[in-house]
Amino acid sequence: MKLTLENVRKEYGETVALGRRSDGESRTDGGVTFEVGDGEFFTLVGPSGCGKTTTLRLVAGFDSPSAGIIRFDGRDMRGVPPEDRGVGVVFQNYALFPHLSVAENVAYGLRFSDPPDGAIRDQRVASLLDLVDLSNAGDRDPTELSGGQQQRIALARALAPGPDLLLLDEPMSALDARLRERLRMQIKEIQSTLGITTVYVTHDQEEALAISDRVAVMNDGEVEQIGTPRAVYRHPESRFVAEFVGDNNVFEGTVLDVRPRNAENRTDAAAGSGESPVETKGFGGGSAEPDLAVDVGGVEIRVETSLDVSEGDRVVFCVRPEHMEVRRDENARSDGSNVLDATVVESEFLGDSTRVYLQWRDRELTVRSDDPLDGDVRIDFDAADAHVVERLKK
Amino acid sequence: MSGPTRGNGSSPASDGDSGDSSISDDHDVGSGVLNVPRTDGGSEAEGALSEARSAAATLRRRVEARALTLGAAVTALVLLVVFYYPVATVFVDAVFVEGRLTVEPIVSVLTSRFYLVDIFGFTAYQALLSTIASVLLGLPGAWILSRFEFPGRETLRSLTILPFVMPSIMVAIGFVATFGRNGTLNAVLGALGLPPVELLFTIEAIVIAHAFYNAPLVARVTTAAWESVDASAVETARSLGASPTRAFRDVVLPQLLPAVAIGATLTFVFTFASFPIVLALGGFQLATVEVFIYSRIQNLAYAEAAALAVVETAISVGLTYWYLRYEGRNRGSGQGARPQPRQSLWPDSWTAKATGSRVAIIGYGLVVLAVFVGPIASMVLTSLTGPQGLTLDHYLFLLERQQTGASYQVRPLPAIANSLRFGVGTLLVAVPMGVVVAVLTTREFRGRAAIDTLAMAPFAVSGIVVGLGLLRGLVFGVDAFGTRLQVTGAIAVVAAHAVGAYPFVTRNVAPLLGNLDPRLVESARSLGASRVRALVDIELPLVAAGVVAGAAFVFAISIGEFDSTVVLAEGSTSYTMPVAVERYLGRRLGPATAMGCILLAVTSLSFVIIERFGGRYGGRGGF
Amino acid sequence: MKRRTFLRTVGVGGVAGVAGCVGGNGDGEETDERATSGNGDDTTGTTTGATESSTPELVVSTYGAFVDAPSTSPGPWLKEAFESEFDATLTYATPDSEINYYIERAMRGADIDADVYVGLNVDMLIRIDEQLDDGLFTAVGDISGQGDVKSGLNFDPDGRIVPYDTSYVSIVYNETFDDGDFVAPETFDGLLESEYAGDLLTQNPTGSATGKSFLLHTIDAKGPDGYLDYWEALQANDVRVLSDWATSYANYEDEEAPMVVSYSTDQVYASQSGEDLAKHQIRFLNDQGYAYPEGMSIFEGADDPELAREFLEFVLRPDVQGEIAQRNVAFPATTTAELPEEFAEYAQAPPEAVTFTYDELRDNVSEWTDAWERQFASK
Repeated sequence: MKLTLENVRKEYGETVALGRRSDGESRTDGGVTFEVGDGEFFTLVGPSGCGKTTTLRLVAGFDSPSAGIIRFDGRDMRGVPPEDRGVGVVFQNYALFPHLSVAENVAYGLRFSDPPDGAIRDQRVASLLDLVDLSNAGDRDPTELSGGQQQRIALARALAPGPDLLLLDEPMSALDARLRERLRMQIKEIQSTLGITTVYVTHDQEEALAISDRVAVMNDGEVEQIGTPRAVYRHPESRFVAEFVGDNNVFEGTVLDVRPRNAENRTDAAAGSGESPVETKGFGGGSAEPDLAVDVGGVEIRVETSLDVSEGDRVVFCVRPEHMEVRRDENARSDGSNVLDATVVESEFLGDSTRVYLQWRDRELTVRSDDPLDGDVRIDFDAADAHVVERLKK
Repeated sequence: MSGPTRGNGSSPASDGDSGDSSISDDHDVGSGVLNVPRTDGGSEAEGALSEARSAAATLRRRVEARALTLGAAVTALVLLVVFYYPVATVFVDAVFVEGRLTVEPIVSVLTSRFYLVDIFGFTAYQALLSTIASVLLGLPGAWILSRFEFPGRETLRSLTILPFVMPSIMVAIGFVATFGRNGTLNAVLGALGLPPVELLFTIEAIVIAHAFYNAPLVARVTTAAWESVDASAVETARSLGASPTRAFRDVVLPQLLPAVAIGATLTFVFTFASFPIVLALGGFQLATVEVFIYSRIQNLAYAEAAALAVVETAISVGLTYWYLRYEGRNRGSGQGARPQPRQSLWPDSWTAKATGSRVAIIGYGLVVLAVFVGPIASMVLTSLTGPQGLTLDHYLFLLERQQTGASYQVRPLPAIANSLRFGVGTLLVAVPMGVVVAVLTTREFRGRAAIDTLAMAPFAVSGIVVGLGLLRGLVFGVDAFGTRLQVTGAIAVVAAHAVGAYPFVTRNVAPLLGNLDPRLVESARSLGASRVRALVDIELPLVAAGVVAGAAFVFAISIGEFDSTVVLAEGSTSYTMPVAVERYLGRRLGPATAMGCILLAVTSLSFVIIERFGGRYGGRGGF
Repeated sequence: MKRRTFLRTVGVGGVAGVAGCVGGNGDGEETDERATSGNGDDTTGTTTGATESSTPELVVSTYGAFVDAPSTSPGPWLKEAFESEFDATLTYATPDSEINYYIERAMRGADIDADVYVGLNVDMLIRIDEQLDDGLFTAVGDISGQGDVKSGLNFDPDGRIVPYDTSYVSIVYNETFDDGDFVAPETFDGLLESEYAGDLLTQNPTGSATGKSFLLHTIDAKGPDGYLDYWEALQANDVRVLSDWATSYANYEDEEAPMVVSYSTDQVYASQSGEDLAKHQIRFLNDQGYAYPEGMSIFEGADDPELAREFLEFVLRPDVQGEIAQRNVAFPATTTAELPEEFAEYAQAPPEAVTFTYDELRDNVSEWTDAWERQFASK
């Protein structure tokens, strides 16, 4: 099933929960628009209050949009109550019916529609319990189960009537980290086995990147960027996305100089990091891109961009920690085009690497290192690894 | 988004998977591959039978989808027909005098020092004292009923409903016999060598009588809340170092306060409109506003009566609104998954604390004996006493009246049968009404408290005004489309009882519904349940305690109701037990008290029976 | 929770014109005759002819205790006796709000389905005349037995209402108080003596017939300008004004106080149930009793006015008057009533009966009671 949102807005009285909040918008503009393809695993990710759960509730039919249209396979869902939408919903707090047994919970949806595969109800319940690996739990009281087990029951219950669309609202938030990772794998596998269109809501960007076919990063009631996890990670289109998705170092400065640059370097840089070509528009590599000199707090940093930038513009750009190389030896020659001298503030050992927080001038930077560091360090990065996310014309 | 989980009583013991051997907890995807696509109907393979079945299902869904709206519409219609319209026919006299719109009657009440200061002032004062007394007398009862285990506890709780059905004349008789100059209390005090007390014809007598009626109400609602306190919350507080007293104050008390508040609010509203117990025990120098409303209506001085009633109602409605705003802000923290264990009334060891609390219980028991048992026992005694001492004459009179009474006379058996029939009928109407209103007003929307208040208004309007309104609005009927529409007899009685009783269901159910996790309903609906199915399948079983508690009040209100019944049963054989009590009042009190005792016996028996059933169905917090 | 309307007990409140009927019976007859016939024609078409095929039905509306008191009530006997002599069915209606029920119906344009009302008093009549432009009742005209009604009991100047019995409101006292020495005072002023502090129980004048009669009696005794002062003194002497007769009588029987305002027929009941008559002594203050006659009348729209008139004549017959008086425990309205000797033994009549006339009450009674309420309740 294909899900489409067209300019969807939600307001509670004067408060805009979903849609652009700036003044001067007509009520039908500035809403949320996106499309989820058949069988796609689509994630809405963003901080608290960004509108992602509101979006999910509108899709489920628990609330009605103030403006805009939601379509299921092209059908306008306006006025269709939740029970007639064919959606399965899993909530963060499981919302199992405490007065019904596990099996009765799973069977509840089958009171209103026949099992989709023509099976009899008991078989359907048994096969779903089997699917979530809780075959023996049918007679149990849901409150006797652990959180992870309850969440799997909630998933089985949501899937039992054979919904066309699965909606998951922060399903892992109440679980501990390790369980979360195991359960999200399980969900992903079940989802791809069933091929069910899924909208997943989370505030955890790492989870979003790990599980999704595509993600929509939401902020302040609006969709900031939609793309595959890789595209969003590599080519954030706004300062918010750059800062929200993954660790990042964000700089802001004034363009001192714009120089044309040959295509060869650019291609090398992309090939050198072993990454596949990016799909986001405006970043088709190969063409000659300008090389910028940017003044960041008095230090000149070189940055590549395909955007149309002129001297005197202010730009925001970011560099991922993994693209910053640390030189213990201050005198060592730097390979990259940019060199920064910074002081170690703290190191976090992550197992496979170490995350190092540095003080550079008046800001904090994050880099990755194989070894623990302390004292003063020199870091460098290539201009091609700096990604311009915003520019303000002079 | 990532806020704390809302308590819905289903939180697991731990979030990590427990070492539960019976349930596999490995995390590979199950092998069973499911056939996914939902058949959305219209598959060609489907036969005519399944088409017909799906058509029937569609119809059922359509009906169900509108069931709640329909329920709300029916509730609104019933309220309109047997409450708002009738009351309006009386209130209109306050603003329409001789066909002219005027504010004169209301202004003259509001500018009268006599009415405003002497009457409304005193009415509010005695209501306040009565409320305080009812809370003070009710809370220890709640404590004992909810925290102690003893034989007959359930039955005792059932019997706390009795004051609700006591006709005021019976209470007056019982109080005189108990608290009078020659009453039982003074006899006991005299035997103990203590000086006698003069309670009758004082405000204290009124306050105690009001506590007699309303302390059980406070006790019942507080008991239900107390039994819902989750033991683990208290244990957590204790484990964090809180003393038992501190744990009570920090954990238990906040969960009791909303219940105490509703009990206190209702007590104030009821005692604010109290009549005629005030005159019977206090005398006319302690007259309340309702005395004057009655007097003006009796003399057909409708403008003044209506103006007084409008002001009275405005005060009660204002208070109700204020309470409902408070209730809306202070939803409790949900039902406990596990109630606190009860203590035995006979402690295992007589520590200082255990001894102290047992002494307190005994002291409270003596107060209960005086305030509740005394008057009721006196009434029973009166029914068994003649000029020559003990006699069954009064009961024999009832027997004789049953056997030889003429059709136009009131006979006991039809009165009993009618009372029970109306009680059951009222349950069937009032419980759905109360639940519908609770569901509607649990949702957050602008003006929620105002709608809720309108739905509560039957508590706030003078019974005398409602009675007159029913006479005008229903008994006389309305000319419409060339015919005179009238509503009288059994159906009208049940409807009027339901209107007067359903707010009890709403008030018992709404806070519990408000505590339920809204995602339970949303889950059910996304699984295909209509709103009303989600209500029946999910919400009602989870708030059964509140439904049953409300139903108990409904039944009792119906059994005890007099004002509307006597108006609507006019000229028919629909009289009830309280009407029979009134009819049997004569030169001697015996026959009326005998009928009053039968009223109490029938009510007690009903409640003990319902308790067995309701206790099974509704669990704790019910009868 | 339960706010019940007041209970009526032995009778309904009322007062009668002791000063006698203000002439004009003759005038009344003429007009009323016309009205009756006119209405008769008028109503035949509109009312239900349910009893057409069988015997005619006479609907008599009255107060509950008239047909259904637990001790004795005249209703059942009256129905039986009437039906045995007339080819008619007597049906009782007992609306809880009594005559107000019919005033309300008339004001709201609803049909009135009763033919006769039994149990009217002067208060009710004043209310009817104040609220309704057209009378609720028709003049009864010349019926046999009307001439036998005691002078002074007629309280309707327009001849619509015929008295059928009367009571006298007095003090009932318990001489076993004070170790058997208790004697009630003989005058109103005596009630103010400090030895009678807290000794008198009476009733709310707006809710009870006896209470209202007692208030009117004090107005008669102390004058419209003096009664409030008298009551101030009475209140200072701890008089108890309770809600209704039943409550105050219950207090009296529990010996909370030695005096209660009640009826002068008190000993009839006491002797019937074998009580100690020392506890049921009668005192007529100032040697007066406040008369309280009850009357009956025919509704304007009566189906069969002739049958209704026959019923009224029947009630006034000497033998029927005697029976009603005994069964209603009241005095007959006619001078010709046949009563057994014993009746006078326990039913005491006052040396002097007092009451206000219809006109006096119509002009003043609201004002008097309002002023009393405001003074008494604000203390």
